[in-house]
Amino acid sequence: MRFTSFQNWRTVIAVFITLLIICEMVAYVATTPRPSEQFFQLYVLGANHMAADYYPNNNTDIHAGEPITWYLGVTDNMGTVQLVSIRVKTSNETIKPPDDQKAIESPAPVLTELTRFIQDNETWETPFVWSISDAVSSGNSTRVLTVEINNGTYQVQDWSASRGHNFRFIFELWTWQTEGNAFEFGWTTNSERRVAWLQVWFNMTIPTLALD
Amino acid sequence: MAGLLVVLVLISIQPFTATSQTPATLQPGFGQAIAALHRAESAGATSTETAELVALLNKALELNGEALKMSAPEQAQKRADLLAQVDQILTTVQNRAAQLTIVASHRSSANRILTYMFGAVAAVLGTIVLAFAVSFHQRYRIKRTFQMRVTRK
Repeated sequence: MRFTSFQNWRTVIAVFITLLIICEMVAYVATTPRPSEQFFQLYVLGANHMAADYYPNNNTDIHAGEPITWYLGVTDNMGTVQLVSIRVKTSNETIKPPDDQKAIESPAPVLTELTRFIQDNETWETPFVWSISDAVSSGNSTRVLTVEINNGTYQVQDWSASRGHNFRFIFELWTWQTEGNAFEFGWTTNSERRVAWLQVWFNMTIPTLALD
Repeated sequence: MAGLLVVLVLISIQPFTATSQTPATLQPGFGQAIAALHRAESAGATSTETAELVALLNKALELNGEALKMSAPEQAQKRADLLAQVDQILTTVQNRAAQLTIVASHRSSANRILTYMFGAVAAVLGTIVLAFAVSFHQRYRIKRTFQMRVTRK
């Protein structure tokens, strides 16, 4: 190829423009962040950090004063720092659980909430050590009055279950929405509302005392 | 003195009591702080850079939680002190996040310009290499042509 020829110069310029377009496209791809799926993970593990052994001796019938250790965890895969809150709700078999389709939280009362800032790709795990410290039985119903959670004592209102069966804790993941400046149940990704929640069932039976 | 110490220790280890509650609303400063952090991340701040600010925010959350547990009138001063500390931390986080946004933004712009410049330089080098390669190939073909022997079959 002779560079003095006008025909060859035109070829060189055409080659340069083609290479420039290719290289700048590569540069654009390298500098543009790739869209990734945004989501949270919420989990509850048993005392041995496994999805098992949630209750002593694997017996879901628990007794007053018996400490139970779980681990609650949240993983942030949203690509940014997030402020999350795990709301702990007390429920039984009659109260509605959260609605996944409509992204509506459970109407069950909030017992406590655990709040934390977490970074992208970070997992926040916190122990959830609880015991029922006071409960009464009247007729066929067992009513929990006081629950201890992580060294805090919580007086519970209206937490009862027929024959003490099918109590449950509901754990809902709430996230801070910067637009609304408030916590919202679940999170929004690609204009779609997603929710994460868990429930763990147990029975709480109180031995009836024989009256003389 | 020893008795006072024992009483103080007992008070400090006594678990708090709360009734089942409606979720506590956070101070507006928390919302502003996370918005500032999001701006820094959008500007290109890395998770290593934001880690310190996240740790500060979690500290502020802890102090805020402690302050909310202090509902007794005699704890009002302590509660006010804790909330003042929370405000201070949130202000610090917002200021640092703003600085981080500027630094990360400049760095991201410089990196982007540099990458596009590398693209242009690569195109120039590629063109030169290609031109010389074609040129050498043509010279080689001419040389081979002159080296040919004409033989009668």
